[in-house]
Amino acid sequence: MELFNDLLLGFSIALTPANLAYGFLGVLLGTIIGVLPGLGPVATISILLPVTFALPASAALIMLAGIYYGAQYGGSTTAILVNLPGESSSVVTAIDGYQMARKGRAGLALATAALSSFFAGTIATVIIAVAAPALAEVALDFGPADYFSLMLFGLIAAVILAHGSVVKAVGMILVGILLGTMGIDANTGLERFTFGIPAFGDGIDFAVIAMGMFGIGETISNLERGGESRTFLRGVRGLWPSWTDIKSIIRPAIRGTALGSCLGLLPGGGPVLASFSTYALEKKLAKDPTRFGKGAIEGVAGPEAANNAAAQTAFIPMLTLGLPSSAVMALMIGALMMQGLSPGPQLMTQRPDLFWGLIASMWLGNLMLVVLNLPLIGIWVKLLSVPYRMLYPAIMLFCCIGVYSIHNNALDVTMAALFGGFGFICHRLRCEPAPLLLGFILGPMIEETLRRALLISHGDPMVFVQRPISLSFLILAFCLLVVLVAPMIRVTRQKAFEEGAE
Amino acid sequence: MIATRLAARRFAGAVALLAAGILAASSARAQSDYPNQPITIIVPFAPGGASDFAARLLQPRLSELLGQQIVIENRDGAAGNVGMDLAARAKPDGYTLFLGNVGTVSINPYIFASLRVKPLQDFVPVSIVADTPGLLIANPAFPPNNVKELVEYVKARPGEVNFASPGTGSVNRLEMESFRREAGLDMVHVPYKGGAGPATADVMGGHVSLMFVTISSGINHVKGGRLKALGVSTKERVAQLPDVPTMTEQGYPKSVSSSWQGILVPAGTPQPIIDKLHKAIVETMKDEKIRARMAESGVIAVSSASPAEFKAYIEADAAKWSGVITEIGVKAD
Repeated sequence: MELFNDLLLGFSIALTPANLAYGFLGVLLGTIIGVLPGLGPVATISILLPVTFALPASAALIMLAGIYYGAQYGGSTTAILVNLPGESSSVVTAIDGYQMARKGRAGLALATAALSSFFAGTIATVIIAVAAPALAEVALDFGPADYFSLMLFGLIAAVILAHGSVVKAVGMILVGILLGTMGIDANTGLERFTFGIPAFGDGIDFAVIAMGMFGIGETISNLERGGESRTFLRGVRGLWPSWTDIKSIIRPAIRGTALGSCLGLLPGGGPVLASFSTYALEKKLAKDPTRFGKGAIEGVAGPEAANNAAAQTAFIPMLTLGLPSSAVMALMIGALMMQGLSPGPQLMTQRPDLFWGLIASMWLGNLMLVVLNLPLIGIWVKLLSVPYRMLYPAIMLFCCIGVYSIHNNALDVTMAALFGGFGFICHRLRCEPAPLLLGFILGPMIEETLRRALLISHGDPMVFVQRPISLSFLILAFCLLVVLVAPMIRVTRQKAFEEGAE
Repeated sequence: MIATRLAARRFAGAVALLAAGILAASSARAQSDYPNQPITIIVPFAPGGASDFAARLLQPRLSELLGQQIVIENRDGAAGNVGMDLAARAKPDGYTLFLGNVGTVSINPYIFASLRVKPLQDFVPVSIVADTPGLLIANPAFPPNNVKELVEYVKARPGEVNFASPGTGSVNRLEMESFRREAGLDMVHVPYKGGAGPATADVMGGHVSLMFVTISSGINHVKGGRLKALGVSTKERVAQLPDVPTMTEQGYPKSVSSSWQGILVPAGTPQPIIDKLHKAIVETMKDEKIRARMAESGVIAVSSASPAEFKAYIEADAAKWSGVITEIGVKAD
């Protein structure tokens, strides 16, 4: 009953015309920047943060939150349409979403992304409302050793993302990890692979690699294919999901929401980890895993639900403990502080209007996003009928603007161009970029948590098996490895037998 | 022939004199009607952080006093070095100010060997604006409740207690190193990345026992009972946490430190402009609203009696930290 009253209070705040308008402005802006490659929620919120100082606290928070989850929505649009993930969490969506688009099912892919995101957003909002304080405690229990084991598990799962050769996927993950080591080392303060260039001190930005490998690399590959690349522009059909489609979306969306809600609580790569572990899960559960990477609708529904759920539950540590789990959440805390509010456990009791207003606005924001995005699908799909000699220069231009906007640094644009060339070579060698990006994101986190866990245990590696959470993930990682390797051995043996029989 | 040459020389001399006169006059005018265009404050950190917070708090009042719009430009990257480099190379005309802090000005020059900027030579200090004390926090389940108990506890367990920090070259790490040396303690350093958040979370979760944080990032957790405070690095107790004793009163007078913030201008800025800015900043920091807002998060609004005093403050601060850095041997590149 108390929950009902709290939610009622929340909706009474979120439904005021002004807050509705700020919420709508937030999700609209979020969608736009999500669609623009490179310009992510962190940059946008940074730019708009000063503007919100003049607003009332609830309006400011509602608008900033709207930008954040709006960007998660928008990021998948370009991932599906032109294989250009706008945000790190939509890298996975690009794998099957783009293939669906190439097969003329862009509308269906977009609708799937929007609907499963809405579903996940709704559930995640309920989870926050019901269990936020309890879940925050769980997040605190996660120590460096537990993170390490989870990330290791994630890294092994990244292999499943590849639909081609496993060896190539492992190779790409390793290249990603190497790229991730660039920059100033957190433990010793030493510079690694910076070539004496100060701008490399913070490493390479994720967007630089993503824009290069996906956006520019894809463009070069399409030029090479010439006329053939226009095939996906023909016969756009099935804008709306049929009943069979919806049936195949529901289960992945539920699983994605569950995984995403859990992983979102953890600091760092919550939404990214969520989206690709869901993808790996769906691929393993599918009756015919070979469909993945060729336009499987589950490969869009699951990850999209997961990244949206994770984006939402990432608010829990911030709202209940005042601890930021990501750069975006750190900005939210900054916004609260500028409002003269102290983020922390007392926020919920001191300013229930703010806490519940934000929660109510999350659900409303998700609703707005669906209402905003579903009609837009028709327009987005029409965009694909733009002749590609005009579409691709536009993509290149947006890539350059997006990459430049991150640090106002021309070096980033050059780097993106270099990664474009590298992406093209990888494309020719049939090495997929998604495992590389995951290695790039997870590698540094694994290193950091491994060294931290060992520092805390004073060098005793037993800490990884003594902690129950850590041990569980290690066992899972081992099982996954067996599942991955076993078929390879079987296939090799089968081949050997076949060759023997000839 | 000679006469013409002489005449020519005299003419050239006259032109040079005249030009110099015009230049002098125009520069004097530029100084007397300063500021006549918007002023930019370069904040070398991202929006939402402590530096940004300080800059935005003083922005409206300072703008009102100077009669010009003040633009805040966040240029983050490389521990603040990107923004500092940019500010150091700006035209020294009083239209580009730099919001320096303990990290960029007093610590980074001794950690980053490749740093081109020499803060004490490339900038002229104008005034300090914020004094943010360090707070020694610990997990509530950690047995010691004050510094005396902490010292006994750690001495009985050399090398067993872990302390966290927001980074290898962060002021919070150096504060702990300085205290550790003063008390002769053997503890293990566990560095984190990405601000005080992740490190604080691990102290709260009990994975690491204690750390120094800026009072602004620790005060709410202490008030909420999630963390306990063992000491504060000020000379006198902080009004917002009256029950927390200072490090000095607990017997460690060297543990007086601050994550200060202050305004500096590029070297070569004319003195009248510096004086005008100094006067306006002192006036700004007297503003009750600003003082109250800063006090909420434990930050003390301050200003320097003169630019020279601020310079002396920075010199002493830099000497202190460079000493600690040399002793423990932190070096990047």
